[in-house]
Amino acid sequence: MGLLSKVEIYRPRPSPLHWWEPRYKLMGFVALILAFANVRDWRLILPMLAITAALYRLAQLPLLFLLQRLRYPGLILLGLVAALPFVAGETILWQGGGLTLRQEGCLALLLISARFISIMTLGLLLLATTPFVTLMRSLRSLGLPSLLVDMTLLTYRYLFDLGETLHTMQTALRLRGFGQQQRLRLGPLAALAGSLLIRSYEQSEQVYRAMRLRGYGSLQRFSTSTERRSPWHWLGFIAILLTALGFLSANFWLSEL
Amino acid sequence: MHIADGMVSAPVCLVGYGLTGLTTWLSLKQINHTAEPTQGVPKAALLTAAFFVASLIHIPVPPASVHLVLNGLMGVVLGYYAFPAVLIGLFFQAVMFGHGGLSTLGINAVIMGLPALVAAQIFRRGRRLLQRAPRWGLGCSAFGAGAIALALSVLLFSSIVVLSLPANLDATIERAAILTLGLAHIPLIFLEGIFTALLALFLDRVKPELLKD
Repeated sequence: MGLLSKVEIYRPRPSPLHWWEPRYKLMGFVALILAFANVRDWRLILPMLAITAALYRLAQLPLLFLLQRLRYPGLILLGLVAALPFVAGETILWQGGGLTLRQEGCLALLLISARFISIMTLGLLLLATTPFVTLMRSLRSLGLPSLLVDMTLLTYRYLFDLGETLHTMQTALRLRGFGQQQRLRLGPLAALAGSLLIRSYEQSEQVYRAMRLRGYGSLQRFSTSTERRSPWHWLGFIAILLTALGFLSANFWLSEL
Repeated sequence: MHIADGMVSAPVCLVGYGLTGLTTWLSLKQINHTAEPTQGVPKAALLTAAFFVASLIHIPVPPASVHLVLNGLMGVVLGYYAFPAVLIGLFFQAVMFGHGGLSTLGINAVIMGLPALVAAQIFRRGRRLLQRAPRWGLGCSAFGAGAIALALSVLLFSSIVVLSLPANLDATIERAAILTLGLAHIPLIFLEGIFTALLALFLDRVKPELLKD
């Protein structure tokens, strides 16, 4: 399962972002992500990208890591909005060869791309500086229903196993000659997916029995006292929150001009 | 068919999260009404993982290949667990592959998850309606569930993307874009419906309890 090998995003580093208490980090990043999603004026593009770059630098992660993560979704996004400079807006910048380049469309493309890069980077920073289980524990302590947290953690746990199972089953199909001709044969593929569902269902019954034996459903499983005591944690949160509020106000002020 | 980070504005993201929160709460409320709510958790989690992995299967449609969405099938198999399952699946897709995004997780869950709940109802009611011919009834209900779920998702996706772009598009261009996106997905809607029907028939033959209410 080549794709599933990309799962582990957490990269341990001795950086302030890694050390930051996960709940404050989560709340701060969510506020900043929402503030960036609200940016509608092109004059805020540079400050937004600058803050994103500063946070990325603070996390001490390699640039290649970010570029690899941005490449594929970036291409999909570009495919969706690439036509905007030619179809959206009224102010004509250039005309020729049957094409008309419009200012509003160009600005919209710039804005969407900058928001995409900034928000994707912030999401990546959150996951690359916090172990997945710690993140889920923080979400639980912030009020996410336990059923949803349990489902997420179990899905995460078995994603790798089922990925391997599918890989084995696909190899077996190929060895028996399936897929040699480029023909649409839905029956065997439906049986393949069906077998995967049945295997996971049967496995889930064993997992449930094992979980019950270990006290699942009767105990408080997560301790919520994960707070590391230092004023820097909430000071960092206040700083991020003020930055987010600054962007919201600047956006409002610029749109009123 | 995911809305990427940055494509839609903050109010759209917030509305998406609001609707997702409400639907998740309603789903969990229904789940908590069952005799033993925790019993369904491992089943739903492992099936979520299986759906996630199964959606990576390439379907050869010469000269290219496509991936199926399988949200209709999730509704058919998981019932009220389908919405949380879609939400979790989308979260992993955003985290692992960058499909969708964290800011647009709510709106993407609405696009994929609400049709999954509709599919669950279509399947249950369709089966009940056509119970005189059980195999045909099962196949037709599953086809309807799979095809309608994807059609609804395409409609929601196209409308949200086109109507929330931060540039003034001409109304004619907006309508044309939505129509083009919709028409381009018609073969996939049929493919999804047929695949869901075949899979439901396979499950009915091998493990019928997976399709029970």
